[in-house]
Amino acid sequence: MSKTGVFIETTDQEIKQSVFGVISAAAAGGGEVTGFLLDGRADKYKDQLAACGVTELVALEAKDIDFSKSPQATGEALAKGATDFGISALLGVSSPTGNDVLARAAMALKAPLALDCMDVDFTANTVKKSHFSGKAVATLEMTGALFVCGIRPNSFEAVESPVTIKITPHTVEVENSDAIIVTEVQAADSSRKDLTEATVIISGGRPMASSDNFKILDECARKLDAVVGASRAAVDAGYAPHSMQVGQTGKIVSPKLYIGCGLSGSVQHFAGMKTSKVIVAINTDKDAPIFTKSDYGIIGDLFEVVPALTKELEKQG
Amino acid sequence: MTLYLALKSAIMAILLAGAFYLFKTKVQRLFLIMQSVDGPGPGEPDRIKERMGVLFRDVLGQSNVRRKKMAGWAHTLIFFGFLAVQPHSLELMIRGVIPGFSVGHLLPGLYNFYLFTADILGFLVLAGFAYAAHRRFVTKPAYLTMGRDANLIILFTSVIIITFHLINACQVVSPYAAQGYDYSGVFPVSGIIVSIFGMAHLSADTQVFLFETFYFIHMLTILGFLIYIPGSKHLHLLAAAPNVFLKPLEREKAVQKTDIEDEDAESFGLGKINELNWYNVLNLYACTECGRCQEQCPADHTGKPLSPKAIVHDLKTDLFKWSDNILKGNKEEIDPIVGEGTEITPDIIWSCTTCRACEDICPVNIQHLDFILEARKYQVLMEAEFPVEMQDTFTNLENQGNPWGFSADTRGNWAKETGIPTMAENPHPDILWFVGSASSFDDRAVKISRALAELLKIAGVNVAILGEQEWGVGDTARRAGNEYLAQMMIMQNVEVLNECRPKRILTACPHTYNMLKNEYPEFGADFPVVHHSQYLLELVRQNRLILDERSLGTITFHDSCYLGRWNGIFDEPRELIAQMNRGQAPIEMKRTKDKGFCCGAGGARMFMEETLGNYINVDRAKEITATGADMVASACPYCITMLQDGLKECGSEIKVHDLAEIMHRKIKETH
Repeated sequence: MSKTGVFIETTDQEIKQSVFGVISAAAAGGGEVTGFLLDGRADKYKDQLAACGVTELVALEAKDIDFSKSPQATGEALAKGATDFGISALLGVSSPTGNDVLARAAMALKAPLALDCMDVDFTANTVKKSHFSGKAVATLEMTGALFVCGIRPNSFEAVESPVTIKITPHTVEVENSDAIIVTEVQAADSSRKDLTEATVIISGGRPMASSDNFKILDECARKLDAVVGASRAAVDAGYAPHSMQVGQTGKIVSPKLYIGCGLSGSVQHFAGMKTSKVIVAINTDKDAPIFTKSDYGIIGDLFEVVPALTKELEKQG
Repeated sequence: MTLYLALKSAIMAILLAGAFYLFKTKVQRLFLIMQSVDGPGPGEPDRIKERMGVLFRDVLGQSNVRRKKMAGWAHTLIFFGFLAVQPHSLELMIRGVIPGFSVGHLLPGLYNFYLFTADILGFLVLAGFAYAAHRRFVTKPAYLTMGRDANLIILFTSVIIITFHLINACQVVSPYAAQGYDYSGVFPVSGIIVSIFGMAHLSADTQVFLFETFYFIHMLTILGFLIYIPGSKHLHLLAAAPNVFLKPLEREKAVQKTDIEDEDAESFGLGKINELNWYNVLNLYACTECGRCQEQCPADHTGKPLSPKAIVHDLKTDLFKWSDNILKGNKEEIDPIVGEGTEITPDIIWSCTTCRACEDICPVNIQHLDFILEARKYQVLMEAEFPVEMQDTFTNLENQGNPWGFSADTRGNWAKETGIPTMAENPHPDILWFVGSASSFDDRAVKISRALAELLKIAGVNVAILGEQEWGVGDTARRAGNEYLAQMMIMQNVEVLNECRPKRILTACPHTYNMLKNEYPEFGADFPVVHHSQYLLELVRQNRLILDERSLGTITFHDSCYLGRWNGIFDEPRELIAQMNRGQAPIEMKRTKDKGFCCGAGGARMFMEETLGNYINVDRAKEITATGADMVASACPYCITMLQDGLKECGSEIKVHDLAEIMHRKIKETH
C-alpha cells in the first residue's frame, strides 16, 4: 500500500486549520497517511490528527537544530523523513511557510514540485492548478517515484475518519546551514487572524459609525470562528485599521462565507471578495448594489440583525 | 578730465568684455547641456506662423501670466519696463567706452519719444516691484518660493531702475552728463527727481561726481545681473520666450509612446537626469518658481509631498549637479532621479492624479506630466517599484482587461436587458459605443450606462457595443507607468476597431474618450470620438430628445479633468444642464473649468490607497456642499464614485448624478 506524507504545519503550538483538509485529501486517496511534525509536540496533537486519518505521526528531530529558525533544515528533514518512511507523495498547505519548506524538500529529494494545487489524484499521479484567474484548469502529471505538492488553503473539507495513531520519534541528520536563519517573527499590528486565510469573514461598512461598534462584529465572529473585515469607507473613517480592509486596494479574500454588514457593495470592495463561496448581505437600503451580488440578503439594521445572530449562535452553543 | 575719460573707457571696455564673455560661456554651457542629454526630443517646430502668434499674445501680450490678476499686472509692468530701459543701458555702455557716442544726435525725434516712454515705463517697474515685495514680505502665499535668490533679484533690479532715473536726472541738469544734448522735457519721472532734490542748483563738480557714481552703480549692477542670470532661477528671462514659442499648440496630448520593442534600448522612461530630452531641459530652464502650479495642485493642496514646482526645481538642481558628467559623456556615474536620499521620492511621483492643473496654469507652458509619467514608467518597467495595491490591478488588467478582475467574457452583460446590440448583432451602426471598464462592471456606473442606453433608444440611435470584444482601454495601466501592459491593451482594441471601422465612437467615460481620441491614433486607430455630454446635447439640439420645462432645482457641475483640462470640453456639459433645467446654468464652484479641482481618481489613483495628507475627494465634496446646490452633476464614472464617497464622508445628502442619469429621469417622467 502506498504511503502519503503530510507536512503538519504549526503556528503558536496549534496545527494550522487548513492542514486537516490536506490530511483528508491524502486519506481519501487510499493510502496510509504519515504526518511529519517538526515542533516536537506530538502528544499534544495526536488525537486531533488521529481523528482525521493520520496513522503514523513522525516526530522529526535533529541534533542541535531548531527547525523553527531554519526553513532549509526543515525542508531537508522532511526530505529525509520522506525517504526513510517510503513516502510516494509529500503534501502540505500552500501557505507562505508551506511553499518555502516544500520547495526546499523537493530540491533535496530532486523530486517534482507543484504548489497552489486545487486537487490531487494519487492513482494517476496528477495535480490540478488554476490559471488565468480561474478561467482555466491545468492538469499536471507528476513523474518519478515521489512528488511534492502544496495544496491551496481551503481546497478540501476536513472530514472525520478516526484511526489509531502511532507516534514515531525519528532523528535525522541535516546540515546546520546558516544561510537563512529566522531571527525574529513580527506579528501584524492586529491580534486578529489573517483575512486572506479565513474561512468565514464578517465585514462592516461605514454605518458601523465607530470603532467601538466593531465589537458587535467581534462577538459574532467569535461564535462563527470568523475573522472581522472592513470596507474602505469604514477604514477611511478611522473605524478600523487598514490591515482589516477588504477590497481592490486592501486584502483579496475568498472565504467560504462572507457576511457584509452595512456594505453598499462598491465595485472596489466587491473586487476583493467576489470569489467568496457564499455571500450574505445585511443592509437597510434595499437598493444597495450588494444585494445583486449576494446569495442571501437581509434588509435590516445591522445593529439589530448581528446581535440577534450572535444570540442565536450562542443558544446553539 | 581727459585722463579720467580715457581711464573710464579702458575700465568699461574691460568690464564689458569680461562680463559678456562670462555670460556667453555660461549660456553656451546651458545650450551644450540641452544638446548632450539623451532623450529623443521633439523635431523641428511646425506651424511657425501660429507660434509667432503665441509669442505675441503670451510673451509680448503677457496674456498667460495675467491669468493671475495682480501678480500678472505686476509682472507685465516689470517686463515692459525692463524691455524699455535696455536700449538706454546699451547706449550708456557704448558711451562708457566711446565717450562721443550718442543715438540722440542721429535720430533726435524718435530718441526723445523713446526716452519719454522708457522713463515712465521704467518707473512703473518700481510699482511692479512694490507689489512683488508686498507679496514676499507681507502676504507670503505658501506656493511662493521664499529665498535669497528672489530677494537678490528684486534688489538688483530696483537698483538698476533707480540709478536709471538718477542718471537721467543728471543728464537733464549737467552739461557734462548730457554731452551737449538737450534732455530737458523728455524725462517726465526723472524730471521730478531734479526738482525734488534741487539738482539744478548743485555745483558742476557735484553734478559730474553724482553722474559718474550713478553710472558705475548702474553698470556694475547690470553686468553683475548678467552674470548672475544663467545660474539662477532667473534663467527664466532667457528661456521663457523660447519655451513658450515651442509649447504644444494643442490642449489635447498623449502620454509619450515608448518603443517597448526596441531591442537596443537600455532603459525605458526617465530614470536618470541625462535621459531627459532637450525640450524637457528647456522646460526646466524656463521655470521661475512662481508657484502657480503648486497653488492649483490637488496633491499639494491636500498635504501630499508632491509639488509640481518642487519637481521642476529638484530636476533642475539634479541636472546642474550632473552637468559635468552629461557634458563629458561619463553618464554611468549619474545617480538615479528617484533613489535613496534623493529629493524626489516614490511618494512624490505616485501622488500625482495627472489632472494637469499644473500644466494648464503654467505661464511658461512647462509640461510637468512629461516628467512625472516618464518617471513612473521607469519605476514600473525598470525597477518593478510601484504602490503594492497596483499589483493586483495590473494582474487583473492583464488577465481580464479590467482593473477589478471580473471575467472578461461578462463585459457585455450589463447591456443584456437594455436591447443594445453588439457589433456582431448589428454590424453597421452609426454609433459604436465603446463602453469602458467602469461603465461595464461597476454597478454604480452601470446605472449610468443603462440610462444612456435607454436615451439612445428613445432618440432612435443606430448603436452597437463591442461586448466581450471590447478590452480595457489602457488609461489606468498607462498612467500607472506600465507602458508595456498599456500597449498590449491598446493594440488589442486597435485591432478590433480597425476590423469594424466605426463611423463614430461614443463613450460616457472621459478617460476612455481621451485614450481613443488622443492616444489611439498613434497606434493606428483614428476614428471620430464623441463624449456622451456632447452627444446628448447634439440629440437635444436635433429634437431627438425632448425636454420639458420643469425645474430640477439647483445643480452644480464638477469638471472631470480628462474632459475639461485634457480635452477642453467645458461648455457642452454646462449647456446640457441648462437645457435640462429650464435654461438655468449650473452654479459654479470656486474652483471650476480650467481651474477645476480633481476628484482624486485620475492617474490610476483610483486604484491606490490615499495614505498621505487629507482626502482629495473630501476636499472637493466640501466645496460642493458650500454651493448649496441640490445636486452635483458630473460626466465621469470615476468622479461620481469619488464625489459620492466624499459627500458621504462629509455627511452630506447632496446627490451625485451623471448627466445621462439626470436626463433619463427627466425624459422618463415626460413619457
